[in-house]
Amino acid sequence: MSNKRSYKCEKVIERLHKKVSRQILGSLEACVHCGMCTDQCHYVLANPGDVSYMPSYKADKLRKLFKAHIDWTGKKFPWWVSARSLYTDDELEELKDTVFGKCTNCRRCSINCPMGVDMATFNRMARGLLVSVGVMPQGVAVVAKDQWEIGNQMGVLKEDFLDTLQWMQEELQSEYDDPSIKIPIDKMDCDVVYSINPREAKYDPRTIADAAKIFHFAGENWTMASEGWDMTNFGLFNGDDELGGAVARRCYEATENLRGKKLVISECGHGYRSTRCEGQNWGQKDVNFKMESSVISMLRYIKEGKIKVDKTKNPEPVTFHDSCNNARSCGLTEEPRELLNMVCMDFREMYPNRAENFCCTGGGGAMSMSEYTPRRLKSAIIKANQLKETGAKTVVTSCHNCVDGLSDLIRHYKLDMKVTQLVNLVANALVVPEKRKAAAEVATLVGYKILLADDEADTLAFFSTVLEDNGATVILARDGDEALALARKEKPNLITLDLSMPGKDGGEVFEILRKDPELSAIKVCIITGKPELRRLIYDRPVTPPEGYLNKPVANEELILNMHKILGVAHDGKKK
Amino acid sequence: METIHAISTNVETTSALLSFAEDKLQLIALSFMALVYFFKVRWILSFKAGKERQAPTGNRDTNAKRGAVYSLFNIFMPWSMPSTRQHPFFYLQFGIFHVAVATSITMSIVLPYLPQLISSPLIIMALQTLFALGFLVGVGRLIRRIVSPYIRAISTPDDYFSLALLVVWLAFAFKAAPNNSDITEFWLLGYFFLTAFFLFYVPFSKISHYIFYPFTRWYLGKTLGHRGVYPLPFNPGNEPLGRMFTRIKSVEGK
Ligand code: SF4
Ligand code: SF4
Repeated sequence: MSNKRSYKCEKVIERLHKKVSRQILGSLEACVHCGMCTDQCHYVLANPGDVSYMPSYKADKLRKLFKAHIDWTGKKFPWWVSARSLYTDDELEELKDTVFGKCTNCRRCSINCPMGVDMATFNRMARGLLVSVGVMPQGVAVVAKDQWEIGNQMGVLKEDFLDTLQWMQEELQSEYDDPSIKIPIDKMDCDVVYSINPREAKYDPRTIADAAKIFHFAGENWTMASEGWDMTNFGLFNGDDELGGAVARRCYEATENLRGKKLVISECGHGYRSTRCEGQNWGQKDVNFKMESSVISMLRYIKEGKIKVDKTKNPEPVTFHDSCNNARSCGLTEEPRELLNMVCMDFREMYPNRAENFCCTGGGGAMSMSEYTPRRLKSAIIKANQLKETGAKTVVTSCHNCVDGLSDLIRHYKLDMKVTQLVNLVANALVVPEKRKAAAEVATLVGYKILLADDEADTLAFFSTVLEDNGATVILARDGDEALALARKEKPNLITLDLSMPGKDGGEVFEILRKDPELSAIKVCIITGKPELRRLIYDRPVTPPEGYLNKPVANEELILNMHKILGVAHDGKKK
Repeated sequence: METIHAISTNVETTSALLSFAEDKLQLIALSFMALVYFFKVRWILSFKAGKERQAPTGNRDTNAKRGAVYSLFNIFMPWSMPSTRQHPFFYLQFGIFHVAVATSITMSIVLPYLPQLISSPLIIMALQTLFALGFLVGVGRLIRRIVSPYIRAISTPDDYFSLALLVVWLAFAFKAAPNNSDITEFWLLGYFFLTAFFLFYVPFSKISHYIFYPFTRWYLGKTLGHRGVYPLPFNPGNEPLGRMFTRIKSVEGK
């Protein structure tokens, strides 16, 4: 082996010296290779016999480098302690495959190591070293770029964000026939500044409406910020403290600029950890306001009698999945359970839980790394078995990453379950004055022609029933080519597109539609069971789709999104 | 006459070696170890410790200090981690081995300076039982390190050598425990020379993990205490007791 080292390797080694803190040094030195952490990692459990998933084996990839350059014995007698430096870019790629593709930084091995080796923390450091020389999965690069440039990790533009808030506000006003319900934006001197995950604005606006409903009925003096509203932080996942600091500061400064008294963080594990715990350290910033999880706020509203809930509205058996970041890194374990017991009739624990819970497998940014999807889903068998054992029909989680991770594994392992968040259950259980007639009871889509393109017969049957019940004229296509032919013939108002279909896939159909002057005005809603394929749509050089939904899609969610895309109000009137 | 004289000279020579091994050699080795440790701790402290700016989260009944103290003693609470709870036999072996090693170190100080403390046959028998068990566990661990593909994959030459060294040392400790130089001179000499070698070697090997232990555990505990995670409750996974114990696994892969 030649001792010539690539430029990138030189840089990684140079930065390693700067990155090792006393805590990380201890973790890199203290491992005795006892193997006690081995069967505590979901990757190991799902891949028996494959040593490359062992936490200590994965950790050793970085440890060898550390030993070769920093540790005494390793520098003098490298072979004795298996120290090994990095020389080629291929070796960096190999390291990438391990630190991004074989570990979700869930910290379960850390709390199981008798020596206190915090593998997850230095795995994050290793990611940061690679990111600093541009070695990372493509999805990670895209998301990080969005967060640097646009200010949120899903590239939601300010106008779209404000538009979504406006839409949700109108929905709520119309639902309760009460124009006083507001989603305040940039209101000064509020008690609460509410920050969210951009996934809510882009794919799940119902959670914003639910939170707004709770704040409104609790009589909270609250607002959202038009800038710096994203409390997620990809710096936690890609190990880039600079990004972590910049994103956290943006969020803190938004609260400071509005002179908010408290920053409430919506249900998101990594967002909570990044904003509430790590962000101040990365950004080297002390703040003069309080921060809390929306779970704690909701619980307090109930305890203080500010809102009333009726648990009989949530009669189905539910279980709770602890997000790793919430439970193992922030101690947020009891409040969600207390709240669940207040708003649900039948709450069942899954085992193990709290700090010992297994990762949903979507953590550590895994959902943005499509190249590792098969591995992720294979390791998800551990979570799938945990879920199945509960016999619950719904799994509740306080984390958006977990929502995506769990939805994906539920689909993959064909579990008869759905995923929801506490905010949805609390909003559903809310006792409010005279609720307006539900949207589904009014035929709001009369006069609209909707083309559904999907290769799954069940999906087509379900969507068409819901849409036809709402008055829409529905046309069905079972593959991409048929969808294009019907689009040309029928000129529908809206097309829903599945991403993986026989013939032309959803991405190709979408691009053809957008580029064809006759069809480009047709609204498009992507409805996919493969969230990791998002890039196939958003990376195309055409205007993004008007809507995007992850399967499974609930009846109400489908209608809500059709309304939004078509510009139809809750009562069926054109907005 | 000549023969008797030769034997007595030989005995005297051997005893001088033994007394050197028991006393001066140990002091030299210990001083060396202390010196290297001093530099090692200085080296550890030369790395920056991160500053924690966040306000505490999680369980309000805890704090950084409580978390750190809990973390330091966490190893004595096998119920607190699935890795120890699910492998009680493995944990027991771990306990025996470490107690045997610590006792053997203590014995290397007691034998030369306070031999009367281990003169009773009962104490000697207890020590020998402990060393024998420690030896057996060590041999078992060595076999596991060689046989298990998991452990082999993470083992370094130092891992094998350190373990083998301790196994041999415990065998010598077993034979040396009666402290009868007439009968066990060879074993006593071997024991003390091995102890000295051990003390010289430790700072450069994985055996020095106990120097890092307080640092890693302290910092992990401090962080997790501040964040309200540590101390974990008695049954952190909140499993029904029956279920906890039906989940005990074999040390598969270990
Ligand atoms: S990380 Fe901890 S549990 Fe895992 S092999 Fe190393 S010392 Fe043992
Ligand atoms: S942090 Fe989680 S995923 Fe990574 S090695 Fe440890 S247990 Fe496995």
